[in-house]
Amino acid sequence: MATTHQPAPTVRPGVQPLRAGKGNSFFFRKLHSLLGIIPIGAFLLEHILSNFEALKGPLAYGEQVRFLNSLPLVRVLEWAFIFLPILYHACYGVYIWIRGKSNVVYYPWAGNWMYMAQRWTGLFAIAYIGYHVATQRFMGADLPEHPGMAFAKVQNELHNPLILAFYIVAMIAICWHFAYGVWLFAAKWGITPGVKSRKRFGYVCAAAGIVICFMGLASIWAFISPKYADAPIDALAPAAVSQLHAPALTNR
Amino acid sequence: MAEKTVTIEIKRQASPDASAIWERFELPWRPGMNVISAMMEIAANPVTVDGKETTPITYDSNCLEEICGSCAMRINGKARMACSALVDNLEQPIKLEPLSKFPLVRDLQVDRSVLFENLKAVKAWVPIDGTYDLGAGPTQFPQQQEVNYPLSNCISCTCCMEVCPQFNEETGFVGAATIAQVKLFNNHPTGKVLKEERLRALAGDGGVQECGFAQNCVEVCPKQLPLTNAISDISRDVMVQKVKDLIRS
Repeated sequence: MATTHQPAPTVRPGVQPLRAGKGNSFFFRKLHSLLGIIPIGAFLLEHILSNFEALKGPLAYGEQVRFLNSLPLVRVLEWAFIFLPILYHACYGVYIWIRGKSNVVYYPWAGNWMYMAQRWTGLFAIAYIGYHVATQRFMGADLPEHPGMAFAKVQNELHNPLILAFYIVAMIAICWHFAYGVWLFAAKWGITPGVKSRKRFGYVCAAAGIVICFMGLASIWAFISPKYADAPIDALAPAAVSQLHAPALTNR
Repeated sequence: MAEKTVTIEIKRQASPDASAIWERFELPWRPGMNVISAMMEIAANPVTVDGKETTPITYDSNCLEEICGSCAMRINGKARMACSALVDNLEQPIKLEPLSKFPLVRDLQVDRSVLFENLKAVKAWVPIDGTYDLGAGPTQFPQQQEVNYPLSNCISCTCCMEVCPQFNEETGFVGAATIAQVKLFNNHPTGKVLKEERLRALAGDGGVQECGFAQNCVEVCPKQLPLTNAISDISRDVMVQKVKDLIRS
């Protein structure tokens, strides 16, 4: 007699098939990708440009910090366009990393190396940004209140050679992560769907990454160079301005 | 004069639950030998280098001309087709292992049905069934054929999935082969009727967004499919589809 017995469905080991049309990972992954360009990438460019003012000295640097802090709704801008996007990008980035299984040992190809480099530089960036925001934004002198102290605060920080090395490595890592991230964005959003277009855009991203990296390293140099070794604690305090930059003021 | 020989080490596993062991074989060299022909010789005389009699190797193969996609395995650590792996071009001892990302059946044979499931999930076919004769299909222009033909060369060997760092049990990534087939059938003048459904399917968990663009797929593909180009194009199409769905719903 025939039975209707059916074997219990066995869960097949191995990689599960596509969950067609199900779930929200598309949205969260694409949000991660987009936030890396806007606003995080845009902020990185702003930050590097602003820091470049340090090459003009403590007064110009203090004025740049004061200008940024005078933007309307600056605390809202700071949280909505800097802190929260970076936090999301970092958390989701770690989530992406732990789910990927690098195999560069077996397949040591350029793209595979860069896949891994993007993850390591991202992790390094998280460590650095966490430290940098804690020490420069939330600890020590309150720069929004006293923008003139910005130069001295950074200078004081970079006196420690270990921290200086940390800053230099982080600058290189973050510029790499950004430049390759822009390239990946173009490739994965279908902006550069051809081999040649990706190659050409690769040169563009590499050149732009090198330029912003050197701008960043030049800014670091400004803080440790002997030229501004005697920078005042608060470059925008009336006494310091009149003492150090009196000619500049009278020329205005 | 000593006879020229070929040494092959094979990772063997009698069943999915058995533990793996390595066996070493030595065969007389012949001109034009490839990995599959070597395993045929082992099957004819399954004796290891120590003189121990063993079972013939279990492996998938069929066409022996790199067109059926059956004999993908890891040869000296790298995923490739065994039939086109010429012994003379390989470093010895030649180490053979099964693909690592698919459930093992026995020895070098693995269960690659996940690719078939994925192709079904994205409807990688041209729907031509009707209640009446649908007649001849629309003409494909040569320009379109030139774009589509390379994509149609996929042999479903799953090498692109094996080498992908994103293709694993955590992500359940669909893999490059399926994405390339979505491009092929979305380009097809009749197949494109299912375009929107395919794109929505690929936005599901494990979809095209999981690609990390390590580009291993395109490096390893034995048929040189433009896989990264397809991923880029389809990612854009999926995004456009999702935005359309969002504003039209």
